[in-house]
Amino acid sequence: MSESIGLTARHSAPAVHAAAGRPLLELRDLDTDIALRRGTVHALDGISLDVAPGQTLGVVGESGSGKTMTALSIMGLLPSGGRVTGGQILFEGRDLRSLPADEVRRIRGVRMGMVFQDPLTSLNPTIRIGAQVAEPLRVHKRVGRAEARDRAIQILRRVGMPRPERIVDNYPHELSGGMRQRVAIAMALVCSPSLLIADEPTTALDVTTQRQILELIDDLREEFGMAVILVTHDLGVIAGRADRVAVMYAGRVVETAATEQLFHAPRHRYTEALMRALPESAIRDSGGHDRLISIPGLPPDLSGPLTGCRFAARCSYVSDECRTTDPSLIPGTHQHACLHPVPTPAGAVTGPAGAVTGPARARVEPAAEPTRVEPAAKPVTAAPAEVTELPVLSVRNLVKDYPVHGRGLLRRAAGQVSAVADVSFEVRAGETFGLVGESGCGKSTVGRLSVGLERPSAGQIVLDGTDLTDLTGRERRRMHRQVQLMFQDSYAAMNPRMRVDAILAEPLEIQKVGDSSARQARIATLLDQVGLSRRALERYPHEFSGGQLQRIGLARSLALHPRLIVGDEPVSALDVSIQAQVLNLMRDLQRELGLAYIFISHDLSVVDYMADRIGVMYLGKLVEIGPAREVVRAARHPYTQALVDAVPSITPDRVATRDGTTIRGELPSALDPPSGCRFRTRCPRAADICTTEPPLVGGLHQVACHLPLRPEPTGTPTQDQAVG
Amino acid sequence: MSTLSEAVGPAEPNDTPPRGLWRQGLTVFCENRLALVGLGLFVLLAGVCFLGPLVYQTDQVHTDLTAVYRAPGEQGHLLGTDGVGYDQLGRLMLGGQTSIIVGLAAGVLATIVGTLLGAIAGFFGGWVDAAVMRVVDAMMSIPSLFLFMLLAAIVTPSAPMLILIIGAFAWLGPARLVRGEALTLRSREYVQAMRGMGGTGGRAVRRHIIPNAIGTVIVNATFQVADAILYVAYLSFLGLGIPPPAANWGGMLSDGLADTYSGHWWLLYPPGIAIILIVLAFNFIGDGLRDAFEVRLRRR
Amino acid sequence: MARYLIARLGQALIVIVLVTVIAFLILHLLPGGAARATLGKEATLAQLAAFNHEMGYDRPLIQQYGMYVQRLLQGDLGYSYQLNQSVLEAIEQRLPKTMVLSLLSTLLAVVLAIPLGVLQAIRRNRWPDYAITALSLLAYATPIFFLGLMMIIVFSQVWPILPPEAPQGFTVAELLADPAGLVLPTATLAIVTIAVYARYVRSSMIDNLNENYVRTARSKGLSERRVVLRHTLRNGLFPVITLLGMYLPALFSGALVVESLFNFPGMGQLFWQAALKRDFPILLGVTVIISIATVVGALVADLLYAAVDPRVRLRGSAT
Repeated sequence: MSESIGLTARHSAPAVHAAAGRPLLELRDLDTDIALRRGTVHALDGISLDVAPGQTLGVVGESGSGKTMTALSIMGLLPSGGRVTGGQILFEGRDLRSLPADEVRRIRGVRMGMVFQDPLTSLNPTIRIGAQVAEPLRVHKRVGRAEARDRAIQILRRVGMPRPERIVDNYPHELSGGMRQRVAIAMALVCSPSLLIADEPTTALDVTTQRQILELIDDLREEFGMAVILVTHDLGVIAGRADRVAVMYAGRVVETAATEQLFHAPRHRYTEALMRALPESAIRDSGGHDRLISIPGLPPDLSGPLTGCRFAARCSYVSDECRTTDPSLIPGTHQHACLHPVPTPAGAVTGPAGAVTGPARARVEPAAEPTRVEPAAKPVTAAPAEVTELPVLSVRNLVKDYPVHGRGLLRRAAGQVSAVADVSFEVRAGETFGLVGESGCGKSTVGRLSVGLERPSAGQIVLDGTDLTDLTGRERRRMHRQVQLMFQDSYAAMNPRMRVDAILAEPLEIQKVGDSSARQARIATLLDQVGLSRRALERYPHEFSGGQLQRIGLARSLALHPRLIVGDEPVSALDVSIQAQVLNLMRDLQRELGLAYIFISHDLSVVDYMADRIGVMYLGKLVEIGPAREVVRAARHPYTQALVDAVPSITPDRVATRDGTTIRGELPSALDPPSGCRFRTRCPRAADICTTEPPLVGGLHQVACHLPLRPEPTGTPTQDQAVG
Repeated sequence: MSTLSEAVGPAEPNDTPPRGLWRQGLTVFCENRLALVGLGLFVLLAGVCFLGPLVYQTDQVHTDLTAVYRAPGEQGHLLGTDGVGYDQLGRLMLGGQTSIIVGLAAGVLATIVGTLLGAIAGFFGGWVDAAVMRVVDAMMSIPSLFLFMLLAAIVTPSAPMLILIIGAFAWLGPARLVRGEALTLRSREYVQAMRGMGGTGGRAVRRHIIPNAIGTVIVNATFQVADAILYVAYLSFLGLGIPPPAANWGGMLSDGLADTYSGHWWLLYPPGIAIILIVLAFNFIGDGLRDAFEVRLRRR
Repeated sequence: MARYLIARLGQALIVIVLVTVIAFLILHLLPGGAARATLGKEATLAQLAAFNHEMGYDRPLIQQYGMYVQRLLQGDLGYSYQLNQSVLEAIEQRLPKTMVLSLLSTLLAVVLAIPLGVLQAIRRNRWPDYAITALSLLAYATPIFFLGLMMIIVFSQVWPILPPEAPQGFTVAELLADPAGLVLPTATLAIVTIAVYARYVRSSMIDNLNENYVRTARSKGLSERRVVLRHTLRNGLFPVITLLGMYLPALFSGALVVESLFNFPGMGQLFWQAALKRDFPILLGVTVIISIATVVGALVADLLYAAVDPRVRLRGSAT
C-alpha cells in the first residue's frame, strides 16, 4: 500500500498534475443514449473527464448513475440500442469517434484493456484459458502459436496464477471466481495497454479476494506504467486506490477532485450525503448509535427531459434556484456542480493532501483508533430488563451436511458437504446478532435452519424454549409466527403475479389470523410502519424499486408479530443511499416492537453498524463471537482480522494503517474440509497445534483459535451475557 | 447488475395509475401485430365456417352426380363442386367446423392430460416423477404419427375418436413442460418464503405454482391446437381420417390431391390454404401470448 | 464421463423396454385384435379362437409379452401373413430407402439451417431475420404432403426438370445412382426440418451473442467476424447436436408422409400399408425398430454433445 500512498501524494499535488502534460484519455461533453422499447434513456449527458498517463481515476456512483455506460462508451461496447450521440473521446490525442472502425478496434485491443464485473460469465466457457489470454497477441501482433502460449504463461504467472503452465490448458469453469478475475486481468494486460478500465472488478468477489485483486491491479499499474479507470459503486474501494475521483449522479459528473481532497472535503451535497449514508460514517461519528443519514427518494428517470440540478429532489439544501438552474462543473482542480456546496474551511481548498482538514459541518473527526479495545459504552437499544430473560433463539451444536449424489443409477451418496459444523449461539429479545463470513461459510444455511426452512442434521434449535426438531405439524405451523426470514432479493421472494395486498395478507391467511377486515386493518398498519402509502396495495412487485420492495418484504415479515427476524443479506443488493433508508427502518422497528434480528451479511461494516453481537463464520465453523465493537476493533481470530483489514474504508486512517494480514490462497472445499482448525491452510500464524480442532473458548468474547491474536480483554463491562 | 438496468435506473412507480397484470398482458399482446393478425385470422375463419352456412346454404348430405366438377362460379357454386357434386365452398365451411373443433378439443385435451401428469410428476418428485417421465420418454421415442396410425388402424376413426386419439397421445409435450416448470417454481424464493410462514405444499400449488405455470400452459395449448389440426390432415391423407359424408380440411386436401393433374384446382388449393392459415393463426396467437405472459414478469 | 455414459445407457435401455411394452399393450388390449384383422370379417368365432390359441393370444398377457421379448432378443420380430415374409425381412428390404431419405434430408437441413439461423441472429430484427422467420413459419404450417405436391407441380409440371417419383432401387447404391429422383423427396422433408433447425440455431446464437464473454471478446478489439466465428458459433452450435437427436421422431413422421407421397416404399410406407391392412406383426415390428432408432439416435447425440462441449464434459467428470 505504501507505494500507492506515495503516488497519491505525487499526483494530487496540483502543480504536478498540471505538469503531467497532455492527458492519456480525455472525454469532452460525451452524450450517450440508449434506445429502449418505451423511449430513449439519456444515460450520459455531457461527461467530461481526463486521465493522465499512469494515473488511477476512480469513477463512483450508484446504479443508474452512468458510470458503467461511461466505461462502455470509451470501449465502444455499448449494449444494443446504445449510441454515443455527442462529444469526443480523445485517446492519446485522437478522437476515437472520428477514426475508422478498424483503427479503433486495434486501439481497443492493444492500447486499452478492460476487466468486467462478473468473472464467472466474462470468459468464454469453451475456449482454453491460454488461447483466450493470448488472443489479442495472435490477432493484433500476429504472434505465433507457441510464442503466444509462452507469453500467456508469463502474464498468468505475473497476475499471481499458481501453476500457469497447467492453467493455460484449463477451461474457465475449472477455476474459482477470484482466479477467473486474474485470468481476465491477464487477458486485458497481455498487450501491455496504456489504459486499463476495470468495471466493478471486485463486486462479485469476497472481500479478502477483493483485496488481493485490487492490490494486484495497483502493482500492475506501477509495473506497466498504465493508467487505470476504476469504476465502482463502493466509495471505500476508490478511497484506497485512486488518485482522482469522479462522482457521478444521474448521467452527470457532479464532482471531481483528487482523492484525498474529495474524501476530506466533499463539496457537492450529493457526495457529502453519499459518504454520510455509509454505516462506517455513523460508527465513526457516533459509535453507531445514530440513525444513518439517508437520502430520501430515488434518482430521476433519465428518459424524460430534466431541468435544474438532478439531485434537487432529494437534496436537503435545495433552493428554488436548484430546480431551475442547471449547474455546471466549476473549473479548477476540485470541480463540483452544486449551487450550495459544502463550505470549505479556509486554506483547505487547494492545499496539498495533508493540509486538508475536515469539513466544517457535522463531521466529528474520528479518533480512529483501529485497535481500540474498550467498547464504546453502547446503550442497549431494547429494554435492559429483557436481557435476563430466556433467549429468543438458542442454537446448540448445530450441524448441517448436504449429501452429494453420484450420477449413477443408484444415486449413492458420493460424499457430503459440511455446510454448518457444530455452531452454537443465542439471540436475546431485542438484540441484533450479526453473522458475517464470506460466500460458502454456511451463514445463510444457519439462517434457513433458524427459521425452520430446513432441518438440521444434528443439534438443537430452541425457539422460545421449545425445540424445533420435535414439533408436530401443527406446532410447527405456529412456530412460524415467532420467526420470519427476510430475503436479499425481495423481488424473487414475492410471487410476481400477486398484488401487494395479497402478498401482505398471505402470512395472515396461512396462520388463520383474524377475519378479512382485521387482516385489512393489519395490512394498513404494516404499510404505515414501513413508510409506504396505501396506494402500494393495488400494485405488483415489478412496479417497485429495490428499496421499496425491501420495505414490503419487511412488512410481510412483521405481519405475524414475530419476535425474531432473520435477515439474509437484506441490504446487499441496494445502493448505499437506499441501504441507509432500509437499515434505519429496521432499527426503528426494532426499538418500537422489541424485535430481535439475526443479521446475516458478507459486509462487515454494515454488520458492525447494526449488530450488538457478531459471530464470524468460516467454512461452516463459528470462529469468533463477541460484542460487535470488540470483534471488529479487537479481533482475536486471524481470519476475523483479515476480514476487518480487507473491508474497504473511506476513513483515511483506516486506509493508511492496513497491516499485512492479507490471507492468501483459495477457500478449501467444504466437501473435504481441512482437519483441525479449518482456517489453518490459509492462516499466517498456523502452527503444528492447529491440526487439532480448537474449541470456542472465552467469556463474552470467544474465539476458536489456539493462537489468538490477543487475549480476551479483562475488565470488560459485563452484561449478563455468558454465551452457550 | 446488467448494464441496461444500470442505464435506466429505478423509476418512481407511484405516479402512474395501477394496471392489472391481465390488462398489461393484453396491451403487450395488442402491440404484437402478428398476434393480432393471428387472432383476426382465427376469428375470420371460424366466423366463416360456423356462421357462413347460415348465409350460404348448400346441401352437404346428398350427393348430386348431375353437378360434378363444376368450375367456380357455375350455377351459383362460388367455388365450384367436387367429384360427387358437393358445393366446394359449403364443404369448406363444414370441413372447417370439424377441423377447428377437432383441433381445439384435441389440443385442450392434450393440455389437460399433460398438465395433470406433468404437475403430479413435478410436485411429488421421486419415483412417481421417474415413472411418469420414463413413460413419457418411451412414448416420445415413438414418432407421433406412427402412434396415431397404430391407434387409427385399430379403431374406426370418427371426429370424437380422433379427438381422443390425438388428445390421449399429444400430452407428452405439455407433460414435460409442466413438470419442468413445476420443478423450477417449487424452488423459487417466494415459495420458500411462503413455507417460512408455515404454508403447506397444497397452498404452494394453488396460490403460487399454478398461477405462474398457467401462462406457459396456455401458450403451449395454442401450439397443440395447431399441431392437432395438422395431425388430422396427415391421418386423412393416409386414409385413416374421418370417412365421408363428414368433411374436414385435411380430408378435402387429400381428396384434392387426386385432382392435381385434372385441372380442378379449386378442389386442391382452397383447403390447403385454409389449413395453412389456421395453423399460422394459432402459431401467431401463441407467440403473442408468450410475449404477453413474459412481459408481465419483466421487472421495470 | 464414464459415469454419465453408464447412466445415459441405462436410461436408454429402460426406455426401449418401455417402448416394447407400450406398443405391445396397444396392439393387444384394444378391440378388434389381430385375429379378426388377419382372418377377415367372415371368420367364425371358432376359427378366431383357434387362431388365437395357435398364436398364443389366449394366454395371459404377461406370458405373451415374455414370449415376445424372448423372440425379440433372438432377432425374431414375427411373421407377416399378409406379406408372406418375416417382419425382419420386410424391414430389411425397406430400411435403405428410409435411411437414405432421412440422412440426406438431415444433412441438407443442417447445411442450410446453420447459416440461415446465424444470419438471423446477427441481423436480428432486421429484414433477413423477418423474411426467414416468415418462411419458416409458412413451412411449418404447411402439411408436408401439400408442400411436396407443390414441389411436384412446380418442378415436374410447370418447369419439368425433376421426376415426380422417387427412385425405385433396393440398395443404397442403386438409390444414390438416381440423384435426380431423390431431389424432390429429400427437399420436401428437408424444408420443414430446415425451418425447425434454423429457429433453434437462431435462438441459441442470440443467447450466446448476449453473453458477457462476447463483450469480453469485443473488448479485445476482435473483428465482428472473429467474434461470431470463433467465440459464438461453436458455443451456439453445440446444443444443436442434441436437437438432431430430439428431432428424430418428427423426422420419421415426416418421412412416413413423404414416402407415401412420392411412392417410395420405405419403412414409413411399410407401416402405412400395414396400418390400412391391420397387419399387426409389421406394425409392432416397425414401431419397435423405429423407436430403437430414435432412442439410439438421441443417445448418440447426447454423448456426442457431452464429448465435444467442455462444459458438459468436465461437469460429468466432476465429483
